[in-house]
Amino acid sequence: MRVLVIEDDAEAAAYVAKGLREAGHVVDHALDGESGYDMATAGDYDAYVVDRMLPKMDGLTLLSRRRENGDETPALFLSALGEVDDRVSGLQAGGDDYLVKPYAFSELLARVEALGRRRAAPTEVTTRFQVGDLELDVITRTVRRASKKIDLQPREFRLLEYLMRHAGQVVTRTMLLENVWEYHFDPQTNVIDVHISRLRSKIDKDFETPLLKTVRGAGYTIAADD
Amino acid sequence: MHRIFRTTAFRFTVIYVLFFAGAVAVLGLFVYQATFGEAAKQTDATIDGEIDVLADLFANNGAGLLTRVVRQRTAWRDDSIYMLIRAPSGAVLAGNLTALPPEALDAEGGFFNFTYERPIVDAAGRETGIQSREARGKIVRFQTQSEAESSYLVVVARDVAGRESLRNRSNAVIVRTAIVTIGFGVVIGVLFSRSLLRGVDSVNRTASAIRGGDLSQRIELTGSGDEIDNLSINLNSMLDQIERLMTGMRDVSDNIAHDLRSPLTRIKNRLDDAMKGGPAEKEEALRATLVDAERMLSTFNALLSIARIESGEGAGVLKPIDLVAIAEEMAELYEPAAHEAGFELILRAKPTPPVLGSRGLVSQAIANFLDNALKYAKGGSRIELTVAPIKAGGAFLSVNDDGPGVAPGDRDEILKRFVRLERSRTTPGSGLGLSLVAAIARAHHARLIIEDGLPHADGDGSGLKMVMVFPAQANR
Repeated sequence: MRVLVIEDDAEAAAYVAKGLREAGHVVDHALDGESGYDMATAGDYDAYVVDRMLPKMDGLTLLSRRRENGDETPALFLSALGEVDDRVSGLQAGGDDYLVKPYAFSELLARVEALGRRRAAPTEVTTRFQVGDLELDVITRTVRRASKKIDLQPREFRLLEYLMRHAGQVVTRTMLLENVWEYHFDPQTNVIDVHISRLRSKIDKDFETPLLKTVRGAGYTIAADD
Repeated sequence: MHRIFRTTAFRFTVIYVLFFAGAVAVLGLFVYQATFGEAAKQTDATIDGEIDVLADLFANNGAGLLTRVVRQRTAWRDDSIYMLIRAPSGAVLAGNLTALPPEALDAEGGFFNFTYERPIVDAAGRETGIQSREARGKIVRFQTQSEAESSYLVVVARDVAGRESLRNRSNAVIVRTAIVTIGFGVVIGVLFSRSLLRGVDSVNRTASAIRGGDLSQRIELTGSGDEIDNLSINLNSMLDQIERLMTGMRDVSDNIAHDLRSPLTRIKNRLDDAMKGGPAEKEEALRATLVDAERMLSTFNALLSIARIESGEGAGVLKPIDLVAIAEEMAELYEPAAHEAGFELILRAKPTPPVLGSRGLVSQAIANFLDNALKYAKGGSRIELTVAPIKAGGAFLSVNDDGPGVAPGDRDEILKRFVRLERSRTTPGSGLGLSLVAAIARAHHARLIIEDGLPHADGDGSGLKMVMVFPAQANR
């Protein structure tokens, strides 16, 4: 993926760029809104990481202008402003995701990769997902593994659906809480982990190869071992 | 005192008084014209008519008949005054004036006003004295073609003393009324602005005291319930809010200093040591530093959230929310975790009318209650999450556990920032969970109550019940 990071804090930007490069992405970096806008206009990127508060042109303006010009590149806002209204204004300006500073790099990486993935199949509506021998059908709301039907609670179904939509990617606990439960706070206890382990007991327990894996220090991923 | 003249109320009063006085003057002028003006015109018309009659007599019948008619009219003894003089000899032929009034000589055939002496007559017709009276008259010269060298001067007049004195009295009344009106207006204006100023003064005094640094000052209320009083009440509650924010800010900075300085010092010391140590020590120091940094970040985030919610910014606009739906979601989210920790999480939700709130914040409050129950209700086995309406209006939600509980004396303490009771020092946590809940409660105008919960399973300990009472929508 080609990622454009627009962030005025040079050290933070270098840290993000280094991390993204280590994860195998190509990263360009702009230090202010105007040069960020120019680079976005000139380059063909798969994702933008935009700080909300930037010198010369703020992040919201930058992105809404790009959107006006028909640029649909998915964008993630970084901001120290984390309240609901701030998120909403970020999404209204055309942002696809919102991450509040301070954040863990693993969180940023997982979200940027989720954005890139969204772009790969932007209009196609997928209703069936398959990972290894695990199948999930969104229409009939059925889950099968090795052709054997598995009964899931509605929330477990949504959890699995989210994981399978992002198969092969790391999904963080916060992403799960935001997208499956629609909450924006960090529980102090391991509520998400327990839900995952329940799900795991249903889809992995009776089978030889586990599909739902824990990524230490980051979150979870669902993938078939190839 | 001179300040009164600069107040808006006084200016309005002056404008009002001027306007009112103007209206009174216009009205007075109209009345005057319609009465005295009209009466004066009538007098002049009567005199002119009389002269026309006399001129007619003279033209047709000569001076002899004119003299006789004037004598007859003079005998009537009403307000009419006549005088007939033969010119140029100056002999008075008839009339009730003894001499030609000097004003008549300047009138040159027109109207003139003059004074004359008239005997005062009593009811029996006897003369009891002489009075000076005002009159208005006209002088004309009658002349015939045949007697070119001799002509007659005729004076016809009316006594207007009664009318004049009435007019003078009326004028005096109008002037007095105007003075009283204006004086009254000024007095009312002064009193009005003074009472207004008193209210504003009290606001001003308080404002300058506060600017001087004493935030505890409040505006005195007069208890009259007027606009100034309402303004004072609003300003006072604004001041309460500001004071709370200031105190909160000071607390936060104190707390940051306290709770972030020690880990920072620890990190610094550890890094200092690691610089001198070998690779293994460096690795270990880095790992420990990372843990510290993460903990500090979460503390910092919690502090920011509290500050935002308390400033009223974090809650956003409160909308009607369904507490039952939120409780169901939270129970569903926490049930597996509770089960794993050895608790049975029971949801007791009665149909509850919506309350005004923020879904995100209320669910966060429930999450903090449940987190606390899972962490601290050691030895317990039940957690009850209850949502129910209150008869008097509003609703409450509570989280009730059968853990060891909190001693009544410590209950206020646990709501304070960074307070962690002695026995919980070993469990992870920032000590900010309940202060966040307290801030959320304040943002919802909700009361937070800590009570005994379910009896502890082992017999010692009272359990803990955290209750959040939401007001009814209407009386917020």
